[in-house]
Amino acid sequence: MSKKVLIIDDDFDLVEAMRVTLEAADFEVIDAQDGNKGLEKLRNEKPDLVLLDVMMAQIDEGFHVAYQIRNDESIKDTPIVILTAVGTQTGFHFDPSKDEDFLPVDAYLEKPVNPKKLVDVVRQHVKL
Amino acid sequence: MIDELPAFTAASLLRRNLWLIRLRWYAVLGLFAGILGTIFLLPGYHDARTLGAVLLVLILSNIVYLYITRVSRHFTKERLVTLLTNQMTADLFLLSFLIYLTGGIESPLSFFYVFHIIIASIIFPGTRPYIYAGMAVLLYTTLLALELWLIIPHICFYPSIHVAGNIQIIVATWLIFLTTIFASAYLAKSVTDRHRKVRDQLENINRRLQEVNHSKVNFFRISSHEMKSPISTMISTLMVIRDVLGEEVDDRVLDMVDRSLRKGEETIKMLKDLSDLTYGSMQERQEFEQVNLCQIINDIVEDEKANAERKHISLTIRSSEKACQFTGDPQALRKIFLNLISNAVRYSNEDGEIDIEILDNESEVIISVKDNGMGIPLEEQKNIFQEFYRTPDARRSISDGTGLGLPIVQRLVELHQGRIELQSKVDEGSEFTVILPREEQK
Repeated sequence: MSKKVLIIDDDFDLVEAMRVTLEAADFEVIDAQDGNKGLEKLRNEKPDLVLLDVMMAQIDEGFHVAYQIRNDESIKDTPIVILTAVGTQTGFHFDPSKDEDFLPVDAYLEKPVNPKKLVDVVRQHVKL
Repeated sequence: MIDELPAFTAASLLRRNLWLIRLRWYAVLGLFAGILGTIFLLPGYHDARTLGAVLLVLILSNIVYLYITRVSRHFTKERLVTLLTNQMTADLFLLSFLIYLTGGIESPLSFFYVFHIIIASIIFPGTRPYIYAGMAVLLYTTLLALELWLIIPHICFYPSIHVAGNIQIIVATWLIFLTTIFASAYLAKSVTDRHRKVRDQLENINRRLQEVNHSKVNFFRISSHEMKSPISTMISTLMVIRDVLGEEVDDRVLDMVDRSLRKGEETIKMLKDLSDLTYGSMQERQEFEQVNLCQIINDIVEDEKANAERKHISLTIRSSEKACQFTGDPQALRKIFLNLISNAVRYSNEDGEIDIEILDNESEVIISVKDNGMGIPLEEQKNIFQEFYRTPDARRSISDGTGLGLPIVQRLVELHQGRIELQSKVDEGSEFTVILPREEQK
């Protein structure tokens, strides 16, 4: 059975691009347009990995979602990959290797999303 | 706007002209009072009539000045200067004559020269006030000399030599003293008041400019993000077409996709560079921390190695242990040296050599990046720190480039209160030297 990936991102076109990429690599893709809908799908559909955009309606919405995932017993083991354009113009800078406490995520992917990297990162972190 | 700036312009000269005329009316009043006082207090004085003539001359000349000033709205600066110069010279002569009439060496009016010098100092910049000072000394000296050698007769202002016991003389002298003191206070205060007002205005304007700059930077950051997002999605989508759906599309389409991708990536780089240019502008004071400069530079060199090897360029770093320790903004420092080192690699010829040196003295860290590449012509060197500027040679050899790298470097070096120097010769190479003061020196 193919693994299920949830993409939480409000940019519909980017979601589509990633969906095509991941489906070609034999993943099942579901998506949500904001943090709350994303958490709901996480709880209901138990995906094997979540791709989470940092900046949605609020500048750090993705971070809050990440914390909520980690604080919810039923979904806290879901691997989180953060999608980010951070480090360029939001003003805050982070490095996941140094900031594990600050940001409880498994990996991050920079936008624009390179399809090869996307598949690599998802394969590497997806729940077995 | 600043309307009171003590600038040496036609408008301000005109204003000073009117001010001088107003002061002269006060002098007219003073002289009139003085003449009355002389008549009542010093009945032994015989030249009150001549004093009255001087008063008349002063009144008439001031009316003439006022008339000329009224019609001189469109005078050039030079003509206004001449008008002021003539008035003040005439005043000095009139004053000297008054001093002669009121006793020469014994005249208490010689204090009044001081006013003229203060007024000249307020009106004119440069050495002109000294010329007036010299003129006053010359006139006074001439007057004394002429009296000394009896070329002109001495006029006695005080009829009695028993000055101490004479109430009239005491009152007359005291009144002149009073006038001198208050007139000095008025003149000095009018200067400082104007300067205070100007300073307040400048502070206000400066604050407004900072606010404007702040909102400009903010607007800029937000808009560059807003622009970056859709372009980023476009690139992501194009990459999917190229890398995932490549087999389904024509080669010609793939070629177009490839070129669009390159354009998109250049645009993203440009937007990134533009937001780097505003880096640090939002904070009043940067949060500096202890960093290892050598580590930062080593990491950059490691990243650039692949590009350098492709062109058989050798990259060497020399550093002293002590120079590595520095207090600064790690992000900014990384951007500074990434730009300089990647530029050196990009603009070096095949088999080039790049030497990086990290040295220090007591107060500064000095980092130089030296290549033996194409070099920058002398006439271009002043331009390369301008935003979007790229030298014709740079355009020819490397087609992509935002022209923002060096402006970013300069901005971030300034964030550390440092400076950047360039030594370069065409076909011999360039050496960029960044000089950063240590924290305790700032």
